[in-house]
Amino acid sequence: MGTGLLLVAACDEAKVDTALFESVKQCTGLGFTAQECETNYKAAQSTHINAAPKYTKREECEADFGAEKCEVAPQRTAGGGSIFMPLMAGYMMGSLLGGGRRGIAQPLYKSANDRSTFRTADNKNVGKTVGRTQVAKSATRAPTAKTRTVSRGGFGAGARSPMRRSFGG
Amino acid sequence: MERIAVEPRDDWRETAEAHGFRFHTIDNEPYWDESACYRFTLRQVEDDIEDPSGEIEQLCFEVVQRAIADESVLMRLGIPEPFWDFIAHSWNDQHKNLYGRMDFAYDGTGPAKLFEYNADTPTSLYETGVFQWVWLEQALERGLIPEDSDQFNSLHEAMTGAFGAMGIRGTMHFACCKDSDEDEGTVEYIADCARQAGIESRLIYIEDMGVDAEGRFTDLQDDVIVDLFKLYPWEWIMTDEFGKNVPTGGARFIEPAWKAVLSNKGLLPLLWEMFEGHPNLLPAWFDGDPAAASLDGDYVRKPLLSREGANVEIFQGGERTISVAGDYGAEGHIIQAFHPLPEFGGNYPMIGSWLVASQPCGIGIREDKSMVTGNNARFVPHIIVD
Repeated sequence: MGTGLLLVAACDEAKVDTALFESVKQCTGLGFTAQECETNYKAAQSTHINAAPKYTKREECEADFGAEKCEVAPQRTAGGGSIFMPLMAGYMMGSLLGGGRRGIAQPLYKSANDRSTFRTADNKNVGKTVGRTQVAKSATRAPTAKTRTVSRGGFGAGARSPMRRSFGG
Repeated sequence: MERIAVEPRDDWRETAEAHGFRFHTIDNEPYWDESACYRFTLRQVEDDIEDPSGEIEQLCFEVVQRAIADESVLMRLGIPEPFWDFIAHSWNDQHKNLYGRMDFAYDGTGPAKLFEYNADTPTSLYETGVFQWVWLEQALERGLIPEDSDQFNSLHEAMTGAFGAMGIRGTMHFACCKDSDEDEGTVEYIADCARQAGIESRLIYIEDMGVDAEGRFTDLQDDVIVDLFKLYPWEWIMTDEFGKNVPTGGARFIEPAWKAVLSNKGLLPLLWEMFEGHPNLLPAWFDGDPAAASLDGDYVRKPLLSREGANVEIFQGGERTISVAGDYGAEGHIIQAFHPLPEFGGNYPMIGSWLVASQPCGIGIREDKSMVTGNNARFVPHIIVD
């Protein structure tokens, strides 16, 4: 809501320095050390498992990310069925040596209808640049973990009283 | 302390709307009331409200310490056993608390008396921290109040600061129930405070929350909920169907689970048992304790979990003189010495003293025509003038 005078909207979002790569090879090729390229890649890969969007059908995943661009996730549905997620299309560096930023490495994806733009697991556009670039600060935050909900509506029973206007007090 | 008549701003409704304060009028009854304000001296606020609030918070921490070390306390509070360990973990792991509101009876003299501590789901936050402050600034500009008027109110800055200190790295979810403008407005405001502290914030109705195959909580986008602010009482969380997922679901709750010890009216007899005679405490016992006979029939009987005055009964000389309807009470009651709210021309003000990250940081006054502050109470602003 627009809570008015005292609350300032975050319109002009700060940008931070980082770098985006499709592979470790590309990373070292652009002058980063093998160690920092590897460390960031591994960190992004482990985030990828939890943060990548999840699907119960391969077709639905491929519709969003393109043919042959999806893999089987290690997770399972409640009934033991397979879960699919997009392949990592690249990664964003966390801390940059000399760059001063202390963030976390992030997996990046490309959607089926826009094969040139990198997106984070939270679907934030971080541009098309391979190598050093600047991205919105919010895109460097830890992405949410994606899953499949198996049940909803298990909270709220306490609130089903007609006479109440507030559930606080 | 006095109640003084003030000319309302002619455009206050438009101002409220423009600020997103949508629940200024509830069920066609005024809730925000600026036709009067309460005037305090700085000494009254600092010595009689602010300092005792901070002190009582420390006493409350001792009650939590005791509760997690002694399960019979949790049992007396009616907290379900599957949550005992979880509550202890939330305390031992120092899960941060955000806010709370202590309700005091105070007439400008003598010690303020703690009626109860709304430590889990306090409301009237936005109107206290923001709209009351806007009123002060505009009323000063327009000469409606004395020109050196101040206010005990750093609530908004304290909220933003507290979120900044929480160390949240990812997305935080903010939940309330459907169908309450007041709760939704409050949660939207709190999410805004978090955003100002740089936290990615997402709103969800508590009824829309889900669980995944691993028992983790999820939102409507199938994202896992990691940090959850909930304007929804712990006692309901614990008895709802999804309550069983809470200890293992991996989410960090604000308020943390240990607040369930403090938001229970059983806190009041526990405080009295441990700190009997403290000037800001009223004598209190669990219902059925023979020691309550010392009150000579002048007492208030409150359900352990009642909110907004529901099911509160006042006894004078052993006769029940006031009784409020509601659907609480099955969980047990406490007995508290009867201490009437002061009366100012037919109005009974209750002083809500706010703490953020356990630091006192402002007051908001709700006034009722009845001695029990209920759902029809109006919010009346305050000033400090020396």
